[in-house]
Amino acid sequence: MTALVRLRLAAFLRTGRALAPALAGLVALGILYGGGRAQPAEAYGVSAVVLFPVLAWQTKILLDVEPDGQRRLVRVLVGPTREQVAGLLAAGVAALVTIAVALVFPWLVGGVTGPVEPGDRSVPAGILVGVWAHLLALPAAVALGALASRASTGSAGYGVAVLAVGGVAAVALGLRGSVAPWLVPPVMATARAAAGDLPAITVLLLSAWAAAWCLAAGTVYLWHRRFRP
Amino acid sequence: MRLEDVWLRYRRRGPWVLRSVQVRVDPGQVVVVTGRNGAGKSTLLQLAAGVLRPVRGRLADRPRAVGWVPERFPADQPFTVERYLTGMARVAGLPGVEAERAVGRWTARLGLVPFRAVRLPELSKGTAQKVGLAQAMLRDPGLLVLDEPWEGLDAAARDLVPELVDEVVAGGGSVLVSDHRGETVRLPGARRWAVADGTVTEEDPTGTETFAVVELAVPSAQVAGTVARLRADGHHVLRVRPDAVPTADPGAAPGPPRAAEDAPDPSGSTAGPAAGHR
Repeated sequence: MTALVRLRLAAFLRTGRALAPALAGLVALGILYGGGRAQPAEAYGVSAVVLFPVLAWQTKILLDVEPDGQRRLVRVLVGPTREQVAGLLAAGVAALVTIAVALVFPWLVGGVTGPVEPGDRSVPAGILVGVWAHLLALPAAVALGALASRASTGSAGYGVAVLAVGGVAAVALGLRGSVAPWLVPPVMATARAAAGDLPAITVLLLSAWAAAWCLAAGTVYLWHRRFRP
Repeated sequence: MRLEDVWLRYRRRGPWVLRSVQVRVDPGQVVVVTGRNGAGKSTLLQLAAGVLRPVRGRLADRPRAVGWVPERFPADQPFTVERYLTGMARVAGLPGVEAERAVGRWTARLGLVPFRAVRLPELSKGTAQKVGLAQAMLRDPGLLVLDEPWEGLDAAARDLVPELVDEVVAGGGSVLVSDHRGETVRLPGARRWAVADGTVTEEDPTGTETFAVVELAVPSAQVAGTVARLRADGHHVLRVRPDAVPTADPGAAPGPPRAAEDAPDPSGSTAGPAAGHR
Protein backbone atom coordinates (compact mmCIF):
# COMPACT_ATOMS: atom_id res chain seq x y z
CA MET A 1 0.00 0.00 0.00
CA THR A 2 2.79 2.42 0.95
CA ALA A 3 4.64 1.68 -2.27
CA LEU A 4 1.54 2.40 -4.31
CA VAL A 5 0.85 5.65 -2.47
CA ARG A 6 4.44 6.73 -3.11
CA LEU A 7 4.25 5.76 -6.79
CA ARG A 8 1.08 7.81 -7.27
CA LEU A 9 2.45 10.82 -5.41
CA ALA A 10 5.63 10.60 -7.50
CA ALA A 11 3.58 10.58 -10.71
CA PHE A 12 1.53 13.54 -9.46
CA LEU A 13 4.65 15.59 -8.72
CA ARG A 14 6.70 14.57 -11.76
CA THR A 15 4.06 15.46 -14.31
CA GLY A 16 3.89 19.01 -12.97
CA ARG A 17 0.12 18.70 -12.72
CA ALA A 18 0.44 19.46 -9.00
CA LEU A 19 1.34 23.06 -9.84
CA ALA A 20 -2.11 24.23 -10.94
CA PRO A 21 -4.02 23.45 -7.72
CA ALA A 22 -1.04 24.60 -5.63
CA LEU A 23 -1.04 27.98 -7.37
CA ALA A 24 -4.82 28.22 -7.12
CA GLY A 25 -4.59 27.53 -3.40
CA LEU A 26 -1.92 30.18 -2.93
CA VAL A 27 -3.94 32.74 -4.88
CA ALA A 28 -7.07 31.96 -2.84
CA LEU A 29 -5.13 32.29 0.42
CA GLY A 30 -3.51 35.49 -0.81
CA ILE A 31 -6.92 37.01 -1.53
CA LEU A 32 -8.26 35.74 1.79
CA TYR A 33 -5.48 37.18 3.91
CA GLY A 34 -4.95 40.27 1.77
CA GLY A 35 -8.09 41.88 3.11
CA GLY A 36 -6.98 42.33 6.68
CA ARG A 37 -5.97 40.56 9.87
CA ALA A 38 -8.15 38.18 11.84
CA GLN A 39 -7.71 35.94 14.82
CA PRO A 40 -6.45 32.43 13.98
CA ALA A 41 -9.62 30.41 14.61
CA GLU A 42 -11.79 32.69 12.49
CA ALA A 43 -9.19 33.02 9.74
CA TYR A 44 -8.54 29.28 9.57
CA GLY A 45 -12.28 28.51 9.49
CA VAL A 46 -12.66 30.60 6.33
CA SER A 47 -9.39 29.18 4.98
CA ALA A 48 -10.84 25.67 5.25
CA VAL A 49 -13.89 26.78 3.25
CA VAL A 50 -11.72 28.37 0.58
CA LEU A 51 -9.44 25.34 0.37
CA PHE A 52 -12.28 22.80 0.14
CA PRO A 53 -12.76 23.04 -3.65
CA VAL A 54 -9.00 23.41 -4.17
CA LEU A 55 -8.33 20.17 -2.29
CA ALA A 56 -11.10 18.42 -4.20
CA TRP A 57 -9.61 19.62 -7.50
CA GLN A 58 -6.15 18.55 -6.38
CA THR A 59 -7.52 15.09 -5.58
CA LYS A 60 -9.17 14.80 -8.99
CA ILE A 61 -5.94 15.78 -10.73
CA LEU A 62 -3.86 13.35 -8.67
CA LEU A 63 -6.19 10.47 -9.48
CA ASP A 64 -6.51 11.46 -13.14
CA VAL A 65 -2.75 11.66 -13.71
CA GLU A 66 -2.54 7.87 -13.74
CA PRO A 67 -3.49 6.43 -17.15
CA ASP A 68 -6.47 4.08 -17.09
CA GLY A 69 -4.26 1.20 -18.23
CA GLN A 70 -1.82 1.74 -15.39
CA ARG A 71 -4.64 1.86 -12.84
CA ARG A 72 -5.82 -1.50 -14.18
CA LEU A 73 -2.31 -2.98 -13.98
CA VAL A 74 -2.17 -1.91 -10.35
CA ARG A 75 -5.60 -3.40 -9.75
CA VAL A 76 -4.30 -6.75 -10.97
CA LEU A 77 -1.31 -6.51 -8.63
CA VAL A 78 -3.02 -5.45 -5.41
CA GLY A 79 -6.75 -5.98 -5.93
CA PRO A 80 -9.53 -3.43 -6.38
CA THR A 81 -9.97 -2.35 -2.75
CA ARG A 82 -6.33 -1.59 -2.10
CA GLU A 83 -6.01 0.15 -5.46
CA GLN A 84 -8.88 2.47 -4.58
CA VAL A 85 -7.86 3.06 -0.99
CA ALA A 86 -4.27 3.80 -2.02
CA GLY A 87 -5.55 6.49 -4.38
CA LEU A 88 -7.53 8.12 -1.57
CA LEU A 89 -4.54 7.89 0.77
CA ALA A 90 -2.22 9.50 -1.78
CA ALA A 91 -4.74 12.31 -2.24
CA GLY A 92 -4.98 12.64 1.54
CA VAL A 93 -1.20 12.99 1.89
CA ALA A 94 -1.11 15.64 -0.86
CA ALA A 95 -3.98 17.47 0.84
CA LEU A 96 -2.13 17.38 4.18
CA VAL A 97 0.83 19.16 2.57
CA THR A 98 -1.49 21.81 1.12
CA ILE A 99 -3.15 22.27 4.51
CA ALA A 100 0.23 22.62 6.21
CA VAL A 101 1.07 25.42 3.78
CA ALA A 102 -2.32 27.01 4.42
CA LEU A 103 -1.71 26.94 8.17
CA VAL A 104 1.71 28.59 7.87
CA PHE A 105 0.79 31.02 5.10
CA PRO A 106 -1.09 33.69 7.17
CA TRP A 107 1.83 33.99 9.59
CA LEU A 108 4.17 34.75 6.69
CA VAL A 109 1.97 37.49 5.25
CA GLY A 110 0.75 38.92 8.56
CA GLY A 111 -2.80 37.76 8.01
CA VAL A 112 -3.48 36.78 11.62
CA THR A 113 -3.32 38.53 14.93
CA GLY A 114 -3.24 37.46 18.57
CA PRO A 115 -6.00 38.05 21.15
CA VAL A 116 -7.35 41.58 20.97
CA GLU A 117 -9.81 41.68 23.83
CA PRO A 118 -10.03 39.85 27.12
CA GLY A 119 -11.77 36.51 26.59
CA ASP A 120 -10.41 36.04 23.09
CA ARG A 121 -8.92 32.64 22.29
CA SER A 122 -5.18 32.29 22.77
CA VAL A 123 -3.08 31.81 19.64
CA PRO A 124 -2.36 28.09 20.34
CA ALA A 125 -6.07 27.43 20.94
CA GLY A 126 -6.89 29.27 17.71
CA ILE A 127 -4.37 27.22 15.79
CA LEU A 128 -5.83 24.05 17.29
CA VAL A 129 -9.30 25.05 16.11
CA GLY A 130 -7.85 25.88 12.69
CA VAL A 131 -6.17 22.49 12.40
CA TRP A 132 -9.46 20.82 13.35
CA ALA A 133 -11.40 22.86 10.76
CA HIS A 134 -8.95 21.92 8.00
CA LEU A 135 -8.85 18.26 9.00
CA LEU A 136 -12.64 18.21 8.84
CA ALA A 137 -12.56 19.60 5.30
CA LEU A 138 -9.77 17.27 4.11
CA PRO A 139 -11.56 13.88 3.87
CA ALA A 140 -14.68 15.52 2.48
CA ALA A 141 -12.65 17.27 -0.21
CA VAL A 142 -10.81 14.03 -1.03
CA ALA A 143 -14.13 12.19 -1.30
CA LEU A 144 -15.57 14.86 -3.63
CA GLY A 145 -12.41 14.83 -5.76
CA ALA A 146 -12.54 11.04 -5.97
CA LEU A 147 -16.19 11.15 -7.06
CA ALA A 148 -15.18 13.65 -9.76
CA SER A 149 -12.19 11.60 -10.95
CA ARG A 150 -12.12 10.03 -14.41
CA ALA A 151 -12.14 6.55 -12.89
CA SER A 152 -15.45 7.33 -11.21
CA THR A 153 -17.25 9.42 -13.83
CA GLY A 154 -15.76 7.86 -16.94
CA SER A 155 -15.51 11.25 -18.64
CA ALA A 156 -13.67 14.51 -18.11
CA GLY A 157 -16.84 16.57 -18.67
CA TYR A 158 -18.87 14.79 -16.00
CA GLY A 159 -15.90 15.03 -13.64
CA VAL A 160 -15.69 18.81 -13.93
CA ALA A 161 -19.47 19.04 -13.44
CA VAL A 162 -19.31 16.91 -10.28
CA LEU A 163 -16.46 19.02 -8.95
CA ALA A 164 -18.17 22.34 -9.71
CA VAL A 165 -21.56 21.30 -8.37
CA GLY A 166 -19.98 19.82 -5.24
CA GLY A 167 -17.85 22.89 -4.57
CA VAL A 168 -20.70 25.37 -5.09
CA ALA A 169 -23.19 23.24 -3.16
CA ALA A 170 -20.85 22.98 -0.17
CA VAL A 171 -21.02 26.77 0.13
CA ALA A 172 -24.59 27.41 -1.02
CA LEU A 173 -26.21 24.65 1.03
CA GLY A 174 -23.91 25.43 3.95
CA LEU A 175 -25.24 28.98 4.39
CA ARG A 176 -27.15 29.82 7.53
CA GLY A 177 -30.81 28.96 7.00
CA SER A 178 -30.10 26.40 4.27
CA VAL A 179 -32.96 23.99 3.56
CA ALA A 180 -30.69 20.95 3.26
CA PRO A 181 -27.38 21.57 5.02
CA TRP A 182 -26.92 17.85 5.66
CA LEU A 183 -26.49 17.21 1.95
CA VAL A 184 -23.03 18.77 2.03
CA PRO A 185 -20.02 18.47 4.33
CA PRO A 186 -20.04 21.00 7.20
CA VAL A 187 -17.26 23.29 5.98
CA MET A 188 -19.41 26.42 6.25
CA ALA A 189 -20.91 25.38 9.59
CA THR A 190 -17.40 24.71 10.88
CA ALA A 191 -16.22 28.15 9.80
CA ARG A 192 -19.15 29.77 11.64
CA ALA A 193 -18.54 27.66 14.72
CA ALA A 194 -14.80 28.42 14.71
CA ALA A 195 -15.54 32.13 14.85
CA GLY A 196 -17.73 31.66 17.93
CA ASP A 197 -17.39 30.03 21.33
CA LEU A 198 -17.21 26.46 19.99
CA PRO A 199 -18.44 24.28 22.84
CA ALA A 200 -17.30 20.65 22.94
CA ILE A 201 -20.68 19.33 21.87
CA THR A 202 -20.51 21.43 18.69
CA VAL A 203 -17.08 20.02 17.94
CA LEU A 204 -18.41 16.50 18.37
CA LEU A 205 -21.51 17.10 16.28
CA LEU A 206 -19.64 18.75 13.45
CA SER A 207 -17.00 16.00 13.50
CA ALA A 208 -19.71 13.33 13.41
CA TRP A 209 -21.48 15.18 10.58
CA ALA A 210 -18.25 15.37 8.55
CA ALA A 211 -17.46 11.70 9.24
CA ALA A 212 -20.96 10.60 8.21
CA TRP A 213 -20.80 12.65 5.00
CA CYS A 214 -17.37 11.24 4.13
CA LEU A 215 -18.54 7.73 4.88
CA ALA A 216 -21.52 8.18 2.56
CA ALA A 217 -19.46 9.81 -0.21
CA GLY A 218 -16.67 7.24 0.15
CA THR A 219 -19.18 4.39 -0.05
CA VAL A 220 -20.70 5.86 -3.20
CA TYR A 221 -17.21 6.16 -4.70
CA LEU A 222 -16.19 2.59 -3.85
CA TRP A 223 -19.57 1.22 -4.99
CA HIS A 224 -19.37 3.23 -8.20
CA ARG A 225 -15.89 1.92 -8.90
CA ARG A 226 -16.97 -1.72 -8.55
CA PHE A 227 -17.59 -1.98 -12.27
CA ARG A 228 -15.31 0.86 -13.35
CA PRO A 229 -11.74 -0.43 -13.31
CA MET B 1 -9.11 -21.18 -12.09
CA ARG B 2 -12.76 -21.41 -13.03
CA LEU B 3 -15.24 -18.98 -14.51
CA GLU B 4 -18.62 -20.13 -13.30
CA ASP B 5 -21.63 -18.87 -15.25
CA VAL B 6 -19.99 -15.48 -15.75
CA TRP B 7 -21.94 -12.66 -17.36
CA LEU B 8 -20.51 -9.25 -18.10
CA ARG B 9 -21.70 -5.98 -19.56
CA TYR B 10 -20.05 -2.60 -19.29
CA ARG B 11 -23.06 -0.56 -18.23
CA ARG B 12 -26.48 -1.11 -16.79
CA ARG B 13 -28.96 -2.06 -19.51
CA GLY B 14 -26.06 -2.29 -21.99
CA PRO B 15 -25.59 -5.34 -24.22
CA TRP B 16 -24.04 -8.40 -22.66
CA VAL B 17 -20.46 -8.74 -23.85
CA LEU B 18 -20.09 -12.18 -22.30
CA ARG B 19 -22.96 -14.49 -21.44
CA SER B 20 -22.94 -17.54 -19.23
CA VAL B 21 -19.25 -18.25 -19.63
CA GLN B 22 -18.25 -21.53 -18.05
CA VAL B 23 -14.58 -22.38 -18.54
CA ARG B 24 -11.73 -23.70 -16.52
CA VAL B 25 -7.96 -23.62 -16.80
CA ASP B 26 -5.77 -25.81 -14.64
CA PRO B 27 -2.20 -25.30 -13.45
CA GLY B 28 0.31 -26.10 -16.17
CA GLN B 29 -2.11 -25.35 -19.01
CA VAL B 30 -1.90 -22.80 -21.80
CA VAL B 31 -5.09 -21.50 -23.38
CA VAL B 32 -5.21 -19.52 -26.59
CA VAL B 33 -8.23 -17.23 -26.82
CA THR B 34 -9.41 -16.64 -30.37
CA GLY B 35 -12.18 -14.60 -31.94
CA ARG B 36 -12.78 -11.76 -34.33
CA ASN B 37 -12.21 -8.12 -33.40
CA GLY B 38 -14.70 -6.98 -30.79
CA ALA B 39 -15.80 -10.50 -29.93
CA GLY B 40 -14.83 -10.07 -26.29
CA LYS B 41 -11.35 -11.65 -26.12
CA SER B 42 -9.84 -8.78 -24.16
CA THR B 43 -12.89 -8.63 -21.92
CA LEU B 44 -12.52 -12.32 -21.12
CA LEU B 45 -8.81 -11.89 -20.41
CA GLN B 46 -9.45 -8.88 -18.17
CA LEU B 47 -12.02 -10.88 -16.25
CA ALA B 48 -9.52 -13.67 -15.76
CA ALA B 49 -6.80 -11.23 -14.69
CA GLY B 50 -9.05 -9.49 -12.19
CA VAL B 51 -9.28 -6.14 -13.96
CA LEU B 52 -13.02 -6.58 -14.50
CA ARG B 53 -15.44 -8.25 -12.16
CA PRO B 54 -18.39 -10.24 -13.42
CA VAL B 55 -21.84 -8.71 -13.20
CA ARG B 56 -23.18 -12.21 -12.59
CA GLY B 57 -21.43 -15.46 -11.78
CA ARG B 58 -18.03 -15.77 -10.19
CA LEU B 59 -14.38 -16.57 -10.66
CA ALA B 60 -12.97 -19.24 -8.41
CA ASP B 61 -9.45 -20.33 -7.51
CA ARG B 62 -7.65 -17.50 -9.24
CA PRO B 63 -3.97 -17.66 -8.25
CA ARG B 64 -2.81 -14.91 -5.92
CA ALA B 65 -0.01 -13.70 -8.19
CA VAL B 66 -1.39 -12.68 -11.57
CA GLY B 67 0.63 -11.09 -14.35
CA TRP B 68 -1.33 -9.18 -16.97
CA VAL B 69 0.10 -7.78 -20.18
CA PRO B 70 -2.45 -5.44 -21.75
CA GLU B 71 -2.71 -5.02 -25.49
CA ARG B 72 -1.35 -1.48 -25.20
CA PHE B 73 1.10 -0.68 -22.45
CA PRO B 74 0.24 2.66 -20.75
CA ALA B 75 3.49 4.44 -21.57
CA ASP B 76 2.24 7.95 -20.80
CA GLN B 77 3.85 8.04 -17.37
CA PRO B 78 6.60 10.28 -15.98
CA PHE B 79 8.99 7.49 -15.01
CA THR B 80 12.10 5.92 -16.43
CA VAL B 81 11.93 2.21 -17.21
CA GLU B 82 13.95 1.37 -14.10
CA ARG B 83 11.97 3.62 -11.77
CA TYR B 84 8.69 2.30 -13.13
CA LEU B 85 9.60 -1.37 -12.88
CA THR B 86 11.08 -0.93 -9.41
CA GLY B 87 7.94 0.88 -8.31
CA MET B 88 5.72 -1.86 -9.73
CA ALA B 89 7.84 -4.54 -8.07
CA ARG B 90 7.41 -2.78 -4.72
CA VAL B 91 3.68 -2.40 -5.35
CA ALA B 92 3.56 -6.14 -6.06
CA GLY B 93 4.98 -6.72 -2.61
CA LEU B 94 8.61 -7.50 -3.37
CA PRO B 95 10.99 -6.14 -0.72
CA GLY B 96 13.69 -3.67 -1.81
CA VAL B 97 16.60 -5.96 -2.66
CA GLU B 98 14.37 -8.56 -4.23
CA ALA B 99 12.63 -5.89 -6.30
CA GLU B 100 15.93 -4.60 -7.63
CA ARG B 101 17.05 -8.14 -8.41
CA ALA B 102 13.81 -8.87 -10.27
CA VAL B 103 14.08 -5.64 -12.25
CA GLY B 104 17.72 -6.40 -13.13
CA ARG B 105 16.84 -9.90 -14.22
CA TRP B 106 13.90 -8.99 -16.42
CA THR B 107 15.41 -5.91 -18.00
CA ALA B 108 18.40 -8.05 -19.00
CA ARG B 109 16.19 -10.86 -20.21
CA LEU B 110 14.01 -8.64 -22.36
CA GLY B 111 16.82 -6.50 -23.74
CA LEU B 112 15.76 -3.43 -21.79
CA VAL B 113 19.14 -2.68 -20.19
CA PRO B 114 19.98 0.13 -22.66
CA PHE B 115 16.59 1.69 -21.91
CA ARG B 116 16.69 1.60 -18.11
CA ALA B 117 17.21 5.35 -17.85
CA VAL B 118 14.83 6.21 -20.69
CA ARG B 119 11.47 7.74 -19.81
CA LEU B 120 8.47 5.61 -20.70
CA PRO B 121 6.86 8.08 -23.16
CA GLU B 122 10.08 8.10 -25.20
CA LEU B 123 10.04 4.34 -25.82
CA SER B 124 9.04 2.79 -29.13
CA LYS B 125 5.85 0.75 -29.14
CA GLY B 126 7.74 -2.54 -29.11
CA THR B 127 10.06 -1.51 -26.28
CA ALA B 128 7.10 -0.27 -24.24
CA GLN B 129 5.46 -3.64 -24.82
CA LYS B 130 8.57 -5.30 -23.40
CA VAL B 131 8.21 -3.15 -20.28
CA GLY B 132 4.65 -4.43 -20.10
CA LEU B 133 5.95 -8.00 -20.27
CA ALA B 134 8.59 -7.28 -17.64
CA GLN B 135 6.13 -5.85 -15.12
CA ALA B 136 3.96 -8.95 -15.49
CA MET B 137 6.91 -11.26 -14.80
CA LEU B 138 8.44 -9.41 -11.83
CA ARG B 139 6.85 -11.79 -9.35
CA ASP B 140 6.47 -15.37 -10.54
CA PRO B 141 2.88 -15.34 -11.80
CA GLY B 142 0.59 -18.23 -11.01
CA LEU B 143 -1.55 -16.95 -13.86
CA LEU B 144 -0.10 -15.05 -16.80
CA VAL B 145 -2.62 -13.24 -19.00
CA LEU B 146 -1.24 -12.00 -22.31
CA ASP B 147 -3.42 -9.81 -24.50
CA GLU B 148 -1.86 -9.74 -27.97
CA PRO B 149 1.65 -9.96 -26.48
CA TRP B 150 3.39 -10.10 -29.87
CA GLU B 151 2.03 -6.72 -30.92
CA GLY B 152 4.89 -4.43 -31.89
CA LEU B 153 7.66 -6.84 -30.89
CA ASP B 154 10.60 -7.49 -33.18
CA ALA B 155 11.44 -11.01 -34.38
CA ALA B 156 13.89 -11.73 -31.55
CA ALA B 157 11.49 -10.55 -28.89
CA ARG B 158 8.62 -12.52 -30.41
CA ASP B 159 10.56 -15.70 -29.73
CA LEU B 160 10.78 -14.70 -26.08
CA VAL B 161 7.05 -14.90 -25.50
CA PRO B 162 6.81 -18.69 -25.89
CA GLU B 163 9.86 -18.99 -23.60
CA LEU B 164 8.10 -16.99 -20.90
CA VAL B 165 4.96 -19.05 -21.36
CA ASP B 166 6.95 -22.27 -21.02
CA GLU B 167 8.58 -21.00 -17.83
CA VAL B 168 5.30 -20.09 -16.21
CA VAL B 169 3.80 -23.43 -17.17
CA ALA B 170 6.89 -25.30 -15.95
CA GLY B 171 6.49 -23.52 -12.63
CA GLY B 172 2.95 -24.83 -12.30
CA GLY B 173 1.25 -21.68 -13.52
CA SER B 174 -1.41 -21.17 -16.17
CA VAL B 175 -1.31 -18.93 -19.21
CA LEU B 176 -4.11 -17.29 -21.16
CA VAL B 177 -3.09 -15.63 -24.41
CA SER B 178 -4.96 -13.92 -27.21
CA ASP B 179 -3.58 -13.32 -30.64
CA HIS B 180 -4.87 -12.33 -34.05
CA ARG B 181 -1.57 -12.58 -35.93
CA GLY B 182 -1.27 -16.35 -35.95
CA GLU B 183 1.67 -16.21 -33.57
CA THR B 184 0.09 -18.78 -31.29
CA VAL B 185 1.38 -21.53 -33.59
CA ARG B 186 4.44 -20.99 -31.42
CA LEU B 187 2.48 -22.51 -28.54
CA PRO B 188 1.94 -26.12 -29.59
CA GLY B 189 -0.29 -28.11 -27.32
CA ALA B 190 -2.27 -25.10 -26.14
CA ARG B 191 -6.01 -25.41 -25.62
CA ARG B 192 -8.13 -23.01 -27.63
CA TRP B 193 -11.15 -21.04 -26.50
CA ALA B 194 -13.19 -19.38 -29.22
CA VAL B 195 -15.08 -16.24 -28.24
CA ALA B 196 -18.09 -15.44 -30.44
CA ASP B 197 -21.49 -13.85 -29.85
CA GLY B 198 -20.76 -13.40 -26.18
CA THR B 199 -20.09 -17.04 -25.52
CA VAL B 200 -16.88 -18.99 -25.07
CA THR B 201 -16.51 -22.47 -26.48
CA GLU B 202 -13.56 -24.77 -26.34
CA GLU B 203 -12.38 -25.83 -29.77
CA ASP B 204 -11.99 -29.51 -30.41
CA PRO B 205 -8.52 -30.48 -29.28
CA THR B 206 -8.51 -33.60 -31.43
CA GLY B 207 -7.42 -31.63 -34.46
CA THR B 208 -10.30 -31.85 -36.88
CA GLU B 209 -9.23 -28.63 -38.53
CA THR B 210 -8.46 -29.22 -42.19
CA PHE B 211 -5.43 -27.86 -43.96
CA ALA B 212 -4.54 -27.15 -47.56
CA VAL B 213 -1.10 -27.21 -49.15
CA VAL B 214 -0.16 -24.20 -51.25
CA GLU B 215 2.86 -24.53 -53.51
CA LEU B 216 4.64 -21.40 -54.53
CA ALA B 217 7.83 -20.37 -56.27
CA VAL B 218 10.05 -17.57 -55.11
CA PRO B 219 13.44 -16.32 -56.35
CA SER B 220 16.23 -18.22 -54.59
CA ALA B 221 17.58 -15.05 -53.03
CA GLN B 222 14.26 -14.45 -51.30
CA VAL B 223 13.68 -17.94 -49.91
CA ALA B 224 14.85 -17.26 -46.36
CA GLY B 225 12.89 -14.04 -46.08
CA THR B 226 9.73 -15.59 -47.51
CA VAL B 227 9.93 -18.56 -45.16
CA ALA B 228 10.37 -16.21 -42.22
CA ARG B 229 7.39 -14.10 -43.29
CA LEU B 230 5.16 -17.13 -43.80
CA ARG B 231 6.04 -18.39 -40.36
CA ALA B 232 5.48 -14.96 -38.88
CA ASP B 233 2.00 -15.00 -40.44
CA GLY B 234 1.23 -18.28 -38.73
CA HIS B 235 1.68 -20.64 -41.68
CA HIS B 236 3.53 -23.93 -41.44
CA VAL B 237 6.37 -24.28 -43.93
CA LEU B 238 6.93 -27.98 -44.56
CA ARG B 239 9.99 -27.92 -46.76
CA VAL B 240 11.86 -25.92 -49.40
CA ARG B 241 13.02 -27.44 -52.72
CA PRO B 242 15.64 -25.22 -54.31
CA ASP B 243 15.91 -27.17 -57.55
CA ALA B 244 12.29 -26.82 -58.54
CA VAL B 245 11.62 -25.86 -62.14
CA PRO B 246 8.84 -23.32 -62.43
CA THR B 247 6.02 -24.48 -64.62
CA ALA B 248 3.19 -22.52 -66.13
CA ASP B 249 0.02 -22.30 -64.12
CA PRO B 250 -2.55 -24.04 -66.31
CA GLY B 251 -5.37 -22.03 -64.87
CA ALA B 252 -3.90 -18.56 -65.11
CA ALA B 253 -1.70 -17.94 -68.17
CA PRO B 254 0.55 -16.05 -68.33
CA GLY B 255 0.62 -15.81 -64.50
CA PRO B 256 3.53 -16.36 -62.16
CA PRO B 257 5.55 -19.59 -62.23
CA ARG B 258 4.70 -22.32 -59.77
CA ALA B 259 6.96 -24.86 -58.09
CA ALA B 260 6.68 -27.54 -55.50
CA GLU B 261 8.88 -27.17 -52.46
CA ASP B 262 10.66 -30.32 -51.59
CA ALA B 263 13.97 -29.68 -49.86
CA PRO B 264 14.93 -29.18 -46.25
CA ASP B 265 13.96 -25.84 -44.89
CA PRO B 266 17.03 -23.55 -45.13
CA SER B 267 16.22 -22.04 -41.78
CA GLY B 268 16.89 -25.44 -40.25
CA SER B 269 13.41 -26.11 -38.94
CA THR B 270 11.62 -29.29 -39.83
CA ALA B 271 8.71 -28.77 -37.52
CA GLY B 272 5.16 -28.26 -38.69
CA PRO B 273 2.21 -30.59 -38.58
CA ALA B 274 0.59 -29.14 -41.64
CA ALA B 275 1.56 -27.25 -44.70
CA GLY B 276 0.68 -23.99 -46.21
CA HIS B 277 -2.35 -21.92 -45.68
CA ARG B 278 -4.53 -22.06 -42.57
